[in-house]
Amino acid sequence: MIACVLLAAAPGAASAETPAANQAALFSSLERSAGGVTTLSSDFVQEKHLSMFKTVMSSKGRFYFGKPDRLRWELTAPVASGFVLKGEKGRRWHQRTGRSENFQISQEPVMKLVSDQLFAWARADFTWLKREYRITVLDEAPAALRLEPRSGATAGFLNHLLISFSADGRYVKSVEVHEKDGDFTRIKFLNTQVNKPLQAELF
Amino acid sequence: MPAPCFTVFERLYRYLSRHRKPLYAVTLLVIGLACFAASRATIQEDIVAMLPDDGSNVDLDFRLMQLAPFTRNIVITLKSEGAEDTAKLTAATDRLAQALTDAGAGKVTTGPADMSGGLFGWLGTRLPNLVTSEDLTKLEAASTGPEVQSRLRQSYERLLSPEGWAIKGSIQDDPLSFSALGLEKMRFLNLIPNMRLVDNHFISEDGKSALIVVESSAAMTDSAASRDLMARIDRAVAASVPAGMSASVVSGHRYTLANSETIKRDLWVVLTLSGVAILAIYLIFLRSLSAFWVFLIPSSILMIASGAIAASQGNIFAVTLGFGGVLLGMADEYAMLIYFYCRQGGKDPATITGEVARPVLFGAAATMISFAVMLMSSLPGQRQLALYSMIGIVAAVLISLIVLPHLVKPAPEGKLPVGTLDLGWQLPHRAVLGVWLVILGLCSWQATKVRFNGDLRAVSMVTPELLQAEEELTRTWGDMRGKALIFSQGKDLESALRLNDRLFARISDRVPAGELVSLAPLLPSEQKQKENRERWTAFWSDGRAQRLAGDLSREGDALGFSGDAFAPFLSTLTAPPPAASIEGLKEAGLAELVDSLIVQSPGVVRVLTLVPDTPQLVAALSEELKSLPGVRLVSQTRFGDSMGDAIIRDFSRYMTITSLLVLVLVVALFRKPSRIMLVLVPVATGLICMFGIMGMLGLEFNIFNIAATILVIGICVDYGIFMVCRLTGESDPAASRSVLVSGLTTLAGLGALALARHPSMQSIGVTVLLGVGAGIPAALLVIPALCKREIK
Repeated sequence: MIACVLLAAAPGAASAETPAANQAALFSSLERSAGGVTTLSSDFVQEKHLSMFKTVMSSKGRFYFGKPDRLRWELTAPVASGFVLKGEKGRRWHQRTGRSENFQISQEPVMKLVSDQLFAWARADFTWLKREYRITVLDEAPAALRLEPRSGATAGFLNHLLISFSADGRYVKSVEVHEKDGDFTRIKFLNTQVNKPLQAELF
Repeated sequence: MPAPCFTVFERLYRYLSRHRKPLYAVTLLVIGLACFAASRATIQEDIVAMLPDDGSNVDLDFRLMQLAPFTRNIVITLKSEGAEDTAKLTAATDRLAQALTDAGAGKVTTGPADMSGGLFGWLGTRLPNLVTSEDLTKLEAASTGPEVQSRLRQSYERLLSPEGWAIKGSIQDDPLSFSALGLEKMRFLNLIPNMRLVDNHFISEDGKSALIVVESSAAMTDSAASRDLMARIDRAVAASVPAGMSASVVSGHRYTLANSETIKRDLWVVLTLSGVAILAIYLIFLRSLSAFWVFLIPSSILMIASGAIAASQGNIFAVTLGFGGVLLGMADEYAMLIYFYCRQGGKDPATITGEVARPVLFGAAATMISFAVMLMSSLPGQRQLALYSMIGIVAAVLISLIVLPHLVKPAPEGKLPVGTLDLGWQLPHRAVLGVWLVILGLCSWQATKVRFNGDLRAVSMVTPELLQAEEELTRTWGDMRGKALIFSQGKDLESALRLNDRLFARISDRVPAGELVSLAPLLPSEQKQKENRERWTAFWSDGRAQRLAGDLSREGDALGFSGDAFAPFLSTLTAPPPAASIEGLKEAGLAELVDSLIVQSPGVVRVLTLVPDTPQLVAALSEELKSLPGVRLVSQTRFGDSMGDAIIRDFSRYMTITSLLVLVLVVALFRKPSRIMLVLVPVATGLICMFGIMGMLGLEFNIFNIAATILVIGICVDYGIFMVCRLTGESDPAASRSVLVSGLTTLAGLGALALARHPSMQSIGVTVLLGVGAGIPAALLVIPALCKREIK
């Protein structure tokens, strides 16, 4: 099935099917739709297809986003851990160790990479996405995109991303992170609620 | 009756009076040739002129200090005035860096090389080469069963987080975070104490300042290149730094420019003032067309001295040329004496020349002796200065005695302007001597307060803006440029690194934590790496590797890891690791740091270690490091002390030898003790008053004061000789006039330097102003007062 998805997502084929004008129109439409989103809250299920593991490693959790720069990523099972981002600052915690620590995003290159991605998807920030990735439209309704990293540093471990949007284009429904060695991670966002007030203490 | 040796000039005058045209032609030819030679000279502006070359190693220390990190670079601090916003700050830093690059300022660095170059991977794979016995003890604790369980679970949890996408590779290579041992060694590479990395930018602790380092090929001693470079940097700053931010630039080039511009401004002010003053003196005291020739002599001898130095040595130190102005001030003494005798007339010019030759030659001999002693100086600049001055004095004497008498015509009826100037013979001698003794007593007491300052910065122009920028730099980033340097020197990299290993082992526990900067923990010598590898192999071959593999397999299985998930990691425990090398460290992102701490030149490799430059630590380490041949500690504070010692040593030697030689000369020339004492009155008074007033005003004695003191001795001894020759009946009252007028021109020419802003010029000016300023009244008032007492 994965092979079928990959084949279907071959850049040349998709580019040929989606002229530049249509692509720009789609991005504008997605940006417009996401522009009206001020908060998002969602459950997620994560599947890690890694050769390091004997089987697919599943986990689940909650995701919250508050425009413009607040984000909470919380894993509830099999371990309880997570992080909150608010502007330049962040805090992470682990229930098992009982430890919680504050950090500066800009001082942690890996966390910066992750937060840039999460915010860009949540905000449908196509200016940033186009700068960082070569984007191919796989489907227009609902929108599905394939993103290939432009920078060598990111391309060192990331082969491409597959992103699917909701039917109304207001939020991301699923993300697949495909690595160089064939491993990949799929995250599905469920029960997404748009513009529902979020408690301040979440961040 | 003049002595036979002085009648040479009388006879010469008679002979040349019949061949004046050839005499003038030869004189002009010599001056023309000197001008040509001087125009071909290379002017050497660097500080080497003022560094001892006597094997005391002060010059070597100075050169080594130039190798310190950031010393040769331009350091720019971009500061945000508002609240902390590192995103804005780093963006502004990138814009300024781009503007600096576009302006051609040089190689611009805003942070370490891309850290994604795999520093962590490098540390992990090279760990066997780097571990010490203490590290293995820590490793033993980290590889127990419970610790393996805890660490592996931590890695598992990180894999489940979004970060896991990026760190999967490093977890596979090092699931138990053993490379943290290598990471810990990074604490020895903290070159900038108050710095943290934000988005790969150097950012201050408070998040409000960013550091930009520019490496330029413009020589710091080249004022023209410095001006161009600073203009480029200033333009880039003006064009790219946004409102609400400011940039301060600290660089040796700024100092060069400040010094060069201050000297230019000083020269303009001083030359204008002294030119007007000298013209006024000539108008008041000389008032004759013949005076024009006296006026020409100083500039002629400047050309001759410069030409002779250029022809013999090829290059002239800028400091020597600067002192040329000083030479101007004393060159007219002899010409002035001859001028006044000739204008006074009353005798055949040949006879006058023969008579005047005695005080002129005696005075010149005393001055020559003073400068000849300076030839023994350990500073090449002072030696060249001595030679330059001696050539100038010989030229001044020859032109004054051979050429000038033919050009000066007697004044009508021998009357000179301003009437008699013999005040010394008219004042009550008791009052004069009383005031003199009180002044001498007071100055002798205050002279003990004078302090010697050998710091080269004391004679360098430091503007308030530069001082503020330096203070700001230290406040923001910590003492990044003021550390003491320890060089481990070898003929090749391996020998230098071996020495660096021994050095690190010797001092690492003596330097406060976090204040020692050394490459030794991350880049040991090949020999040390081999020892570490053997220790690593022995550690794991003791059944530990198998135990760890078992623990890892069991715990990994429980967490769902596949059987071979950590095979690459386990193989590194026993497989031979790649060596830790300079190239590897550079590729891992530490290129700037490695280049700062390893200085390679053909046949010599130096590895730097930095320690705090505190007197106690430097003294203790100096003693400790004596047993490590090839290791050299260079401290900025100790360097200043060494320079100070060299100055005191030189000065004591000059004063002793000059005093003895001048005394011997004066004794040989005047024989009678009372006459000898009289000759020495102006020089003794000049020196005591000079030191006394400097002590009173809290002025320090620096490297430029030494040369100026020799000048004071030379000039004041001349005054004594000129005045005392009169008492023997072999001279006449023109001597007082000559002493007064040449003294006044000296003060106008050199004393005006006291108004300069540049410390070196001001030092010369103050010394001469005080010394000669006291020597003139001593010659004109005290010698006659003492004579009257003697006659009574």
